[in-house]
Amino acid sequence: MEKVGIVGYYQVKPDLDAMMSPPEMIFNAVRGALDSAGLKRKDISTVIGCTNDYYDGKTISNAFKVDAGGAYMKDESKVEFDGAHAALYGVFRILSGNHKLAMIYGYSMPSCFNYEAVRILELDPTFDRTVSLLNSYSAGGMQMRAYMKKFNVSLEDIAKVAVNSIKNAAKNPSALPEAQRSDISVGDVLESEILCSPLRKLMYPILCDGTAAIILAPEKQSLKITDNPVWITGVGNCQDTYYLGERDLSISTSMEIAANKAYKIAGINDPKKEIDIAEIFGHTTCEDLILAEAAGLCEKGNGTSLLDGGPALNPSGGTMSGLTPCVCGLTRIIEAVKQLRGEATGYQISGAKKAVATGQVGFCAQNNILYVLEGGGN
Amino acid sequence: MDKFYDGLENKKFIASKCSKCGKVFLPPRKTCGDCFAKAAEEFVELPETGTVKNFTVANYRVSERRERKLKEPIIIGLVQVDGADTAMISEVLNIKPDDMKEGMKVKVVWADRIKGHPKDIKGFEPIGGE
Amino acid sequence: MAKVQPAIISSGFSEHASKRSDVNMAELVNEAVENCIQMANIDWKDIDFVINGNMPAFEGANMPELWMGDHIAAKNKPMLRVTTGGTTGGSVTIAGYYAVASGLYETVLAIGFEQQSCGDTAIGLASVALGEVTIYPDVGYDFARMRSNLGAGAAIGVASYQAMNYMARSKATEEDLARVVVQNRRNAAKTWWTHLKMPTITIEDVLDTPYISYPLRFGMVCPATDGACAILYTTEEKARQIADIPVYVNGVASVANEPAILAPNMGGAGQVDPCEQLGAMKSAELAYGQAGISFPNKEIDYVEVYSPFPNQELMWVERLGLFEENMAPEAYRNGITAWNGELPVNCSGGVNSTNAIGASAMERPAEAALQIMGKASNQVPKTVHTAMGHGWGGAINFITHVVMSDEPQRKWR
Repeated sequence: MEKVGIVGYYQVKPDLDAMMSPPEMIFNAVRGALDSAGLKRKDISTVIGCTNDYYDGKTISNAFKVDAGGAYMKDESKVEFDGAHAALYGVFRILSGNHKLAMIYGYSMPSCFNYEAVRILELDPTFDRTVSLLNSYSAGGMQMRAYMKKFNVSLEDIAKVAVNSIKNAAKNPSALPEAQRSDISVGDVLESEILCSPLRKLMYPILCDGTAAIILAPEKQSLKITDNPVWITGVGNCQDTYYLGERDLSISTSMEIAANKAYKIAGINDPKKEIDIAEIFGHTTCEDLILAEAAGLCEKGNGTSLLDGGPALNPSGGTMSGLTPCVCGLTRIIEAVKQLRGEATGYQISGAKKAVATGQVGFCAQNNILYVLEGGGN
Repeated sequence: MDKFYDGLENKKFIASKCSKCGKVFLPPRKTCGDCFAKAAEEFVELPETGTVKNFTVANYRVSERRERKLKEPIIIGLVQVDGADTAMISEVLNIKPDDMKEGMKVKVVWADRIKGHPKDIKGFEPIGGE
Repeated sequence: MAKVQPAIISSGFSEHASKRSDVNMAELVNEAVENCIQMANIDWKDIDFVINGNMPAFEGANMPELWMGDHIAAKNKPMLRVTTGGTTGGSVTIAGYYAVASGLYETVLAIGFEQQSCGDTAIGLASVALGEVTIYPDVGYDFARMRSNLGAGAAIGVASYQAMNYMARSKATEEDLARVVVQNRRNAAKTWWTHLKMPTITIEDVLDTPYISYPLRFGMVCPATDGACAILYTTEEKARQIADIPVYVNGVASVANEPAILAPNMGGAGQVDPCEQLGAMKSAELAYGQAGISFPNKEIDYVEVYSPFPNQELMWVERLGLFEENMAPEAYRNGITAWNGELPVNCSGGVNSTNAIGASAMERPAEAALQIMGKASNQVPKTVHTAMGHGWGGAINFITHVVMSDEPQRKWR
């Protein structure tokens, strides 16, 4: 695979309730990304948006976002999964040779709808949805129980990881302010409300409004646009079966397959040693561990060891820094980019050269996508 | 699914079988994911008993309209009916959360009013002795 | 021309009908997928990427391919969802092209479907603009007045504006519109998977129906259909081994315009004439350029355009460079676009006869591909070398354009 460069990005600061309309937020992200790269709208060749009709409450949610997304008279399309999947489509378009600059943006406003309730619409309408027992909380709870039992991991161990993520979020200026708690303790996490046992509230992200945008370009153009491109050297995507009853919830088959494909393309043989940064989109802290393990960043069941060594797990705080559907995966990519460019002020991991960033959709991370990113280091 | 709903109306579990690998699906499915082959041509009746494969004690209930905190927790479980290769989501009834154990044997509790609808399965309760 | 040349090797369909109550969504799509894989003569395990799209508003299901994965040959495979409203099918077709053109995936299944009977079509479409107009009452615009003004809303509303503008420009008559309908519905009668099959319909029959919104009569508008379509892509190398006639996709474009008539947050839009379609013309230019086509009216042998309303068919064949501006009605009168004409259009019956919205924009390139392969139900007598499938949607601001041929495009880049 030829390298695809990430040459610009912008994160609109997440807000519990942004006092902005969708076009305003998206404009801020897209304009910000263009400015950060010193590019003009005329340079854009294609725009891929990521919005979800149900989250947006609008059919064809990208119809009225053409102008704000910089897509007027541009070759435009829309992906309806996670921002990281939209980036994949952007990668396709760049690698095809047909396009020289791709603008990818993601957007949603959970303050305008109940995320958990709308997720019920993802369920099988012939049975699961009518029974109405499966949701993010109950799925998360069962996943956690399966993981803890299989690998003998204690609640306290997982709480330590949650604490690590939340403290990291406190150092991250792009995190949701309400998610930043530098004084959080393991006790706080263990005593927080039980959503669906054993899942605790402080192991579950806070939903917030947000947008983010990144700009992709082929290798040659990337080197002309910026001195500091970050290269996408590998990507893999895979979707598990929907039926939770048939999956081993303590592992993630789809992430394993996705990661292996990405590593093969990128030439990574030993991710534990070669990857410096891991920005993982897990819907709960436990899922962060399951996915990190499936991505080969540590032994199975030993995710908590990442706190002591190996790739840095979610230096941005991961989803504990705020979860915006359709954007989260893109944010993980951006956070990895910041680390590789030396721009993660306040929470920079020194010497970061290679990173993985993941995105997902579906209950218990049914569909995963993993990117391998490489920078010049700092 | 028609046979499944009709089965519920008669308080029976009707499952379907994959024509290639023989995997048994409850609720039935038209296609087997592993074989990409027809899985709804052969049907089999399953007993009313099963095993709890996984569970969680839920303090929240989420419907299509809203999420709400429950006054009393409910137990949500993945129950594998005997003879099926799939588990279905259901409530586990008549047991205290602290007594829940993975792998426990359960039996279906039918709803008071049967309509040929998934909600006819009120839940599963432990078979005595657990 | 892409770095890796994608080729379509099969198109599959489900049975289309007003209500497919014999199947649920997963089963409906499964029909099309099985039909497609059977025709391609490959093993489902060879598929290494699946892309799906539909318009989520109609079934009340969000991201249904998550649930449907096992049923569409996608278990433990990569999966992407692409949805862009009316152009969804075309967008998925184009995404399939790019997945292969990127060199990352070799055999790609692209699926478009809709089970309209699950929901209410008019309401689903009305919510395209509802979010933008709900601001009106906030700024003092009377709600009752807003509601009555939006009466000519949803798809047929904007189509009426479009029809009025087009008829004013081209002097097309209602009879010209009815002629398009007759041609489409008679064609549909010869294609196996379509919805409205009317082998003996006449212009008088069409004009004898009441108006819905002038100039569009009941007999002129498309139905709401349940149906699914699937296309299989692979690389040129593999296609040459396994397909009789690989259909090379040489040009794709989907240039977006600003929404017509109404802009975000009730603002004014520059696009006030929905039949002008600058985006469509630019898309056509881009796609033809990629495909090395300089004279579309001479080089394209067959075309499927997306025209749920007959005025659109006349408009599109002009905007896509196949006829001079305002000359389409005459071309139809002279039989140029008939099944045995010089440039056959919509021999599958088009969207006017079958409209499962998520699938429609894919069924256009799918049928065009079949014509090149020589395997269409209503196969035209002339040999088709180069064909085109088109789609439109959004707030009349989206377009998809797929140009294909039995020769791969070798162009100096």
